[in-house]
Amino acid sequence: MADVFIPGSLEEAVDFLADHPTTAMPIAGGTDLLVDARTGRSRPERLVDLSGLRGIEGFELDGELLRVGALTRIRSIELDAELGRRATALVEAARVLGSVQIRTMATVGGNLCHGTPSAEMPPSLLVHDAVAEITGKGGQYSVPLAAFFVAPGRTVLAPGDLLTSVRARVPSSAAGSCYLRQTVRWSMDLAGVGVAASVHVEGGAVSNARVALCAVAPVPMVVTGAENAVMGTSLAPDALAEAGRRAAEACSPISDARGTAEYRRQVVSVLVPRALRIAWLRATGSWPEGSPAPVNGVWTRE
Amino acid sequence: MPAVRASELQVVGRRIPKLDAPEKVTGQIAYADDLRMSGLLEGAILRSPHPHARILSIDVSDAERLPGVRAVIHAGNVQQGCFGYGNDNVPLKGDKVRFIGDEVAAVAAVDEEVAKRALELIRVEYEVLPAVFDPFEALEDSSPSIHDELPDVDGNVSMRWDFDHGDVDAVADRAAAIVEGRYSAPQAAPAPIETHVVIASFSPSGHLTVWSPVHMVFMYRKALADVLGLDWRKITVIQPPVGGSFGGKIDIDTHDFIAVMLARHARRPVRLVMSREEEFIGTRTRQPIHFTLRTGADADGNLLFRDAEVVSDNGAYNAWGSHAMLVAMNTITSMYRVPNSRIRCAVVYTNKNYGGSVRGFGNPQATFAVEQQMEELADALGMDPMDLRLRNANQSGDVTPQGMEITSCGLSQCLDIVREQSGWDRRRGKMRDRHRGLGAAAFIHVGGGARIYGSDGCGAIVKVDESGQVTLISGSSELGQGSETALAMIVAEEMGVPIESVHVVNSNTDIKPWDVGVHASRTTFVAGNAARMAAAAARDKILEAAADLLDARAGDLRIREGVVEVAGEPDRQIEFGRAVRRRLLREEGSVVMATAFYDPPTHHQDKDYRGNISAAYGFGAHVAEVEVDPGTGMVRLLNLWTAHDVGRAINPMSCEGQIEGGAAMGVGLALSEELVMFDGQIAAPNFHDYGLPTAVDVPRTVVNLVETIDPLGPFGAKGVGEGGIIPPPAAIANAIADATGVRPREYPMRPWKVKHWIDSGERSHVVAGKEASEHG
Repeated sequence: MADVFIPGSLEEAVDFLADHPTTAMPIAGGTDLLVDARTGRSRPERLVDLSGLRGIEGFELDGELLRVGALTRIRSIELDAELGRRATALVEAARVLGSVQIRTMATVGGNLCHGTPSAEMPPSLLVHDAVAEITGKGGQYSVPLAAFFVAPGRTVLAPGDLLTSVRARVPSSAAGSCYLRQTVRWSMDLAGVGVAASVHVEGGAVSNARVALCAVAPVPMVVTGAENAVMGTSLAPDALAEAGRRAAEACSPISDARGTAEYRRQVVSVLVPRALRIAWLRATGSWPEGSPAPVNGVWTRE
Repeated sequence: MPAVRASELQVVGRRIPKLDAPEKVTGQIAYADDLRMSGLLEGAILRSPHPHARILSIDVSDAERLPGVRAVIHAGNVQQGCFGYGNDNVPLKGDKVRFIGDEVAAVAAVDEEVAKRALELIRVEYEVLPAVFDPFEALEDSSPSIHDELPDVDGNVSMRWDFDHGDVDAVADRAAAIVEGRYSAPQAAPAPIETHVVIASFSPSGHLTVWSPVHMVFMYRKALADVLGLDWRKITVIQPPVGGSFGGKIDIDTHDFIAVMLARHARRPVRLVMSREEEFIGTRTRQPIHFTLRTGADADGNLLFRDAEVVSDNGAYNAWGSHAMLVAMNTITSMYRVPNSRIRCAVVYTNKNYGGSVRGFGNPQATFAVEQQMEELADALGMDPMDLRLRNANQSGDVTPQGMEITSCGLSQCLDIVREQSGWDRRRGKMRDRHRGLGAAAFIHVGGGARIYGSDGCGAIVKVDESGQVTLISGSSELGQGSETALAMIVAEEMGVPIESVHVVNSNTDIKPWDVGVHASRTTFVAGNAARMAAAAARDKILEAAADLLDARAGDLRIREGVVEVAGEPDRQIEFGRAVRRRLLREEGSVVMATAFYDPPTHHQDKDYRGNISAAYGFGAHVAEVEVDPGTGMVRLLNLWTAHDVGRAINPMSCEGQIEGGAAMGVGLALSEELVMFDGQIAAPNFHDYGLPTAVDVPRTVVNLVETIDPLGPFGAKGVGEGGIIPPPAAIANAIADATGVRPREYPMRPWKVKHWIDSGERSHVVAGKEASEHG
């Protein structure tokens, strides 16, 4: 049984964590940590309960700037209509994470800091050029989210560092995004492959594109090659296929109980074009407003 | 018992919520894990980390010295005998361990934490031996021998099940179409919410009481006595409410013996609760079975033969799973009319978790092979698969090659219903452009008991007290399947009382009469008949007393809603309880109590596997509709239409629940559930990776209840508990074939397998007949 420290402020939390670098761990929603503690993957002696801290929960949109506090519950992202329009991929990722009960407890910060290769939130933040804002013993600093993840279960955070928020750029018009995944079950499953894409469309062509993946490399990754393949195009089939091919080449999946490496590469090459296509349809107003993409991007019509 | 018309029924046929539903949905019911008693110790089991190893030494001295430890047991300090078919198992292993999870030692301590720390202090020295995980490799001469201590075991073959009927080779020569292929079913788990749990307690006088949510309670008691050298007359087994079993808790498991041995050593009551991980690692599974099957038919679509080579991947020891071929064999020989059949089956030891009993017991696996081949064969003949099925459907009056006597049979009607509701004739084969397909599968399963033991009977006692309350004491217990409610309804119907006045007692071996136990979808049929007979006898005693009071002849009386009245003269009536009091509360009075015992008119199979093992057989048919994503291999189940011949629906709501629940389990088997293993190690023993389906994965299931009014069933009812789980893997495989043109070869049909079949163009192996199959 771990001792629980309830800090009165962010500074107290940082100080406590810095003073106990090998024994203390922060806990917010606890949806990963409690499972890890039960299976023995993690044996914290001291828990620093962040859930009562003020000022780092919730999110705000200011023009094109989105700031998401680390303590923001996944569920509150999932249910926000404005985010649904502006950061559709993020909301789609939130929709498929765990169960309603898990989403109600789990936080964005926890999902990022746990560093799980298949974590749902990173790809959808990466396609919005997200930056991690961190408070540590030496003050505040920022790291591009693409450089935040180091290895499975590891991030750049040093003992005493706390992720406080993530800022991202969400264009207000002519842009769209999408998050798709491959799973065994159609709900309550971890991604075998996760793909987020965003596009900005100007004059009938892609003026900016982002593609990010999870579960197919030791850390979530941005695929610049895939982005370049569609820049300046109107997403003709060959450009989409090329983007898929480049993404499949760029990733480095493993074989495990949730699929083989070869299969995962195939799925990347399939889901990247689909995600880009749906992002394009959204950017151009051709996708039904407020309608989420099917999990695997296949539009089922009756 | 005479047949009863539906219009005459007062209680049977009504939709009545399960009697224990309020306690369960509000969390008030006390499961075994909720029981509290003073001095209760917590037990824990040390399990083998190796799939195959010789035990060189066990040192428990440090564990014994740990404060709070009350007993540490291992093969060297307990009195234990062998168990399992062929006596190939022993509770605590002394010589060898044969799978990861095998029991080596156990402790009882004042709490769970101390017990776990004590386990860490036990030092076991192993000599690791080569292990074998693939049953085909286990059959090779070079394979390590898993049970070298058993003289009768030939290599790693634990048993063989061979069957011959007619002449397969002769008729194969004149077949117009023959298809063949390999079909594999995985290692799966019953995965109940309540893990296995047992509490054992000896009284100072040496009487043992065990609380265990086991089904076959009398055989459990005998096994405890036999293996542990106890007097079975001094054992009471109490069955607390069961938090899910699905067959997993059918009989005694190794930890049951261990709990009793711990209680004996510690001289204190001991509880053993499996953690979720232990439930997967340390209790029994649904064993993998591999079928190499050939089916042939003549040009008109009459089935000619089935020819099967079967390898059952038994795991390390023989539990019930070794006998799943009893049921798989029925399906191969007797699902549809098959004039010739040949089966060669080897049950093979491997260094893995071993097979127990799980709902459907060999039948989903066999049906996956048999029913895929019905559609492959139809394509090879250029026939519609439904027409092929109907042409060969079992009919009332048939006696199958194994001697199964088909009495009530609604198979054709079930096929017609799902064909119509699914739009089969206009939609199958016509949705390929949208990657959608339809597939069907039917089933046959015992539905009137299953004679696998000397007795297939069940006793019942009906007691009516002076308040008019009726108590049924049944030998058969409730697993959550709703049998308690069905039995109460049967008694209420027979006695003419409201369901509310019937109580069921069924959970204590000191009180209840013999029953072989809950299995084989037999409770409503066997325990139902016993309950009905006892109720009728008790009712007659009441009528006798009432006749006296009403100055009428007993034959002129009837009971409705708890009131006895003279037929045709409704003002001459008395309340039910008054008649009881009339008998009881007087000089030389007597209680109203009656007993009955029902053992179905069935026979053991002979040495050639022939014999009418069940007094009735259940039938049904499913059609599944899927959409396949050819890019990812993800399969979405869109619709499931089901029709089941239940004989008579005692409680239609309960029947629907059983069928829906069974179908949901079948959907899980088909698409997601598997104990993935690497070198004998279950990769992820948890609910996430095991892959039970969620509500999103299971579509709305259309349930049709077909009532054929069985001649021997209580009010015409047949067993319904297992049928739902049987067809989905086959029906979904056939639907995938219709959607994609490729033929699934194994389940679960997880996305990467489907993708692989699509990319590699896996097709039917048509030996004779039309080569170019449209449907894989």
